[in-house]
Amino acid sequence: MLKKYRPFLRAGAIDTMAYRFNILVWAVITVCQVACLVFLWLAVYRSSAGGMDAEIHGFTYREMIAYVVLTTIFNFVTFNNDTLWNINTDIKKGTVGNYLIKPISYRGKFAATSLGSLLTMTLMFGLPLYTAALVTLGSLGFLPDLSFPAFFAHLGLFLLAGLCASLLNDVIAYIFGVLCFYTSSGWGLNSLKETLVAFLSGTLLPLAFFPAGLREVVRWMPFAGMSQNPVLILMMKYDLAESLRCLAVSAAWIVLLELFAKFLFSRAVRKVTVQGG
Amino acid sequence: MRYVHLYFTCIRRSMISRLEYKKDTIIALFSFFFSNLCSLAALYFILQSIPALSGYTLPEVGFFYGFSMLPIALDHLFSDEFWLVAYFRVKDGDMDMHFLRPVPVIFQMFAETFQPEGFGELILGVALISVCAANLTVSVTFGAVAVLCVGAVFGAVIITSLKVAMAALAFIFKRSGPLLQIIYNFSNYAKYPLAIYPAFIRLLLIFVLPFGLFISLPVDTLLYGTHDPWLLCLAIILCAAVFFALAVWVWILCERRYESTGS
Repeated sequence: MLKKYRPFLRAGAIDTMAYRFNILVWAVITVCQVACLVFLWLAVYRSSAGGMDAEIHGFTYREMIAYVVLTTIFNFVTFNNDTLWNINTDIKKGTVGNYLIKPISYRGKFAATSLGSLLTMTLMFGLPLYTAALVTLGSLGFLPDLSFPAFFAHLGLFLLAGLCASLLNDVIAYIFGVLCFYTSSGWGLNSLKETLVAFLSGTLLPLAFFPAGLREVVRWMPFAGMSQNPVLILMMKYDLAESLRCLAVSAAWIVLLELFAKFLFSRAVRKVTVQGG
Repeated sequence: MRYVHLYFTCIRRSMISRLEYKKDTIIALFSFFFSNLCSLAALYFILQSIPALSGYTLPEVGFFYGFSMLPIALDHLFSDEFWLVAYFRVKDGDMDMHFLRPVPVIFQMFAETFQPEGFGELILGVALISVCAANLTVSVTFGAVAVLCVGAVFGAVIITSLKVAMAALAFIFKRSGPLLQIIYNFSNYAKYPLAIYPAFIRLLLIFVLPFGLFISLPVDTLLYGTHDPWLLCLAIILCAAVFFALAVWVWILCERRYESTGS
């Protein structure tokens, strides 16, 4: 039954490989951004009451730098789908009609494509980048002690969390993409989605810095599972119980959001105006 | 005079085509405010946990952030078309029509789009500056205000010049958008006081990509009187003149290399 989605899985993988130059540019931009953040955090710790050795909201400056580097790699490897844009293009060009008459689900097509992309990214970039980052950060003493048998358990949970994050990201992109049926253009919706995710997922800064009330709310939202939680699982800042709680929350949200997406699509599809086709 | 008339005619047309997707424009505007609000909230949460950032208090850091939005907003209003030139228009070969018109291509690019989103940034920047200034105790001198105005206006000229020069490279390489993106992203560094950076980054931000020259130094001058305001004004204006002249020169040199796709 899943066999018919295999070409999309392949297409996602090949697509990602074709854009190596973009990835190089991304690397330069990202190194500059990470450097900026590192300088900012160093200044923050230098200016803190406890000085360089202070622990702010449970993070030492070393862990904070490791966090910045690892979230950046994580976001790069995990969030690489163009689901929202592809839906937007399908709507604008009217090609969405082609999918409505084919015996595959529109949602399934995107999920498969983005998993294919996740696979390529993890093998091509994730493996070398994570290894390099973990070895470098670890030998500089920037990671909390990685005791070995336990680390493998965390690594496994981290990979699962990464898969969840990718699925969450894809379903959220899909929901925003379907909303394009109502707005006919994706720019605004895309930037709204990006902002929402960057802020609530802990990419801008760890959620521990949020005021207590907001933090508690965000802890149970789907976004934390998209960036902060997987990285903290990998850094072994979470124990096994907390890691499993995060995974359970993410899994529950995937189901909920998929159901919502299905409902939304069935309503939005009535709004389809194929512009010329 | 003819050019002024031409400019407004073109802009009116661009605004009409913008209104095609009303809902999206409103969402874009909202998400723009929301995104800045998030960045500010992040900065606020960080500063809550420390007494001051490299000696700068919360309102001072907010002032930096707000002021950095002004030159960026002014540039955003007038020169957004160059992003499209750098990313798509040269590559797709759809510049042909501009080369057939009896007006310089570079002028047509400025007249092609007017981005009202820039006003959002401008308003937010001014609001943030006002709120932070109300919480500051500085003796405002005439010179300091002058240097802030010069920094905002001529800073925008410098940003636009960088944009024009980078976009012009698309005539040679077909696609220079990523390069433009890299240069432009350095403006993020100027959102914070230069004091948080190591010396070589400070030098880079003053002498090479002078975002620090027209953002950080003027604000420092207002807050602490670190520099002679009139000398700084002169430096910024001179820098803007040089950058603008260089940008136009690069553009004229590069546009000769344009190849149509023949379609």
